Amino acid sequence: MTELLCLGLSHQTAPVAVRVQLALAPEQQEQLLRQLSTHRAEAMLVSTCNRVEFYLVAVDVQQAKTAVVDEISARAGAAATAHIYEHHGDAALVHLFRVSSSLDSMVVGEAQILGQVKDAFELAQRVGAAGGELTRVCSAAFAAAKRVRSETGIGRAPVSMASAAVELAEKVFGGLTGKSVMMVGAGEIAELTVKHLRSAGASEIIIANRTQQRAEALAADLGAVAKPFEALPMLLVNADVVITSTASPTPLFTPESVGPALKSRRFRPLFMLDIAVPRDIAPEINQLAGVYAYDVDDIEKVVADNSAARGAEADKAEALIAEEIAKFVRTRSVRDGVPVLALLRARADQIARAELEKTLSHLGEGLSEKQRRSIEAMAIAIINKLLHQPTAKLREASLEEGISRLAGAAAELFGLEETPSPSDPAATAQPGRPR
Amino acid sequence: MWHALLALAFHEYALAALVYLAYLVWPWKPFPAIGRVLVGSGLVLHGIALAAQGVPQGLIQGLSALSFLLLLLQLALDLRYRMPVIGAFLTPIVVAVLVPSVLLHGSAPTLPNSVRRPLLPLHISIALLGMAAFAVATGVAVMYLLLDRQMKGKRFGMLFSRLPSLGFLDELNRRLVVWGFIALSVTLITGAYFASGIHGAVWVWQSKEIATLVAWALFAGLLTARVFAGWQGRRVAMLTMAGFCLLLVSFFSHYPLPYDVGLR
Repeated sequence: MTELLCLGLSHQTAPVAVRVQLALAPEQQEQLLRQLSTHRAEAMLVSTCNRVEFYLVAVDVQQAKTAVVDEISARAGAAATAHIYEHHGDAALVHLFRVSSSLDSMVVGEAQILGQVKDAFELAQRVGAAGGELTRVCSAAFAAAKRVRSETGIGRAPVSMASAAVELAEKVFGGLTGKSVMMVGAGEIAELTVKHLRSAGASEIIIANRTQQRAEALAADLGAVAKPFEALPMLLVNADVVITSTASPTPLFTPESVGPALKSRRFRPLFMLDIAVPRDIAPEINQLAGVYAYDVDDIEKVVADNSAARGAEADKAEALIAEEIAKFVRTRSVRDGVPVLALLRARADQIARAELEKTLSHLGEGLSEKQRRSIEAMAIAIINKLLHQPTAKLREASLEEGISRLAGAAAELFGLEETPSPSDPAATAQPGRPR
Repeated sequence: MWHALLALAFHEYALAALVYLAYLVWPWKPFPAIGRVLVGSGLVLHGIALAAQGVPQGLIQGLSALSFLLLLLQLALDLRYRMPVIGAFLTPIVVAVLVPSVLLHGSAPTLPNSVRRPLLPLHISIALLGMAAFAVATGVAVMYLLLDRQMKGKRFGMLFSRLPSLGFLDELNRRLVVWGFIALSVTLITGAYFASGIHGAVWVWQSKEIATLVAWALFAGLLTARVFAGWQGRRVAMLTMAGFCLLLVSFFSHYPLPYDVGLR
């Protein structure tokens, strides 16, 4: 029997400094997934700026767990393991559903997380680390997330990273009318924030990106001006709000690098928002006079203040997820019971066919086509009538108690072969994975 | 009779101060309106009492008139910009300042004829208006520094949602300091005129005059730095507070001329 295990740390358990050390490049993720999926296990790794989570399906989860914990302590130090949470079985299932539906996000209802989990699943598939069970679990989680998005107001809730950022910027400047906004890098929340700032009155939007084409495409999209990345220090002189969201491994802005620009700005206040992990803005910048530098963790505090407003929608979403989980568990149980049923029916069919053949060949040519048909129909009817009650009972039992004792009993009574592992039938559809 | 009106106004202010402070802790919607009504009606009573007493001539009367102007300015700003939070910063202080005026009431000292010149009411009124503007500017500066600390420290307390933006507070501070500075300049010039009546000289080096002059120079420098060097924010807020402290020294230095404060 395999078990689903979720191990990870997120914005709720670990500070940004720890999460930064666990932000893995795609190649590293691939390598790690290959490692983890070697011992008869399925693995998926969700790595975003707010969370690093391993989803494992294995017969021996303990072994997989040790591998993950070792990996985390190797990267972020032994102290980081104190921030790890783990969920087993259905609790892990619930967690994945909640994460995909953005209920566990720092900004509840943000849309990006579903795409990130989907990417994680695709990567696992590509590497061959996702087997049948993970595939089923993930597609159910994605379906639930889709329902949550379309049937609750959680995604539309005004409480978002973007509006929280706008609220903070307004607390600095008063009105945002005529203010200049600079976006460095790109990303859903950064772009959303820019849009919010614009509708709050910001007039000038500047985009700086390492790849000029990307900057120009974004600029066209947002009605902004693309500026060369190299001009960053100069651009800082005129900006009022700076939003950073790049993949740079080291901070783009440090007190030393912004010093000259700040001098030319004189004492005009500057609001900086860092959405990137690792950070683009060195924390010391916040100490400079007139500079208010915020990162995702800081924004959370503002968002937490407003959390009451989205309570009702979140409750609705939680109820929906509970419903989807129940549905998933039910179909899983039926599926688990199905091999016995299928085998039973196959066995009965096989017997009926053999006996029919014997009988018909005995009776020879003397039968009319019509009589032949009647005999065939009788044999099948006998099987159906005989199997009707056991089939219904087996289905019923599997709904109630998972893989039922009844299924085992049926297998034994009818001399059916050992049932295959529940996750295997679908696994055959997957590309060959190392075992 | 007039004193009874002042006492009544005082009690209204005290109640208003409690209401404004309660509003900080518990943002019940009617609180700001209650505070405004209490301050407004208190101002009416207070105004009648002041008008009846004529030009304020002793420290006690001076404080009473200053309180009146301060609350008038506060109410005007609150009504104009809908910022009841300012009441929590100013009203309690005004109440404290008014205590001696309510407890010690005596008739105003009679001024020597040398100072009784036609422009005296104007001099005193403008001086008090300037003081009120700087007092409110100081309150605004305190609000700025508190909000700045919350924004920098990212600890968003009760004040965070109630305070207006840093930009607004800075701009309000600028305007109040400009008006205060104009009033202070006029006070210095008219003051010289009265000083010539008392001392026979336009300028005497006494603590009151020195403190006023230093405060004037400080605010002049502050406004210059604002205009030409783009100064704003924290340091401006702190300098505003420092300047106001100098003005307080000036205000309490043998107020008014002559020394008699009218205590009986």
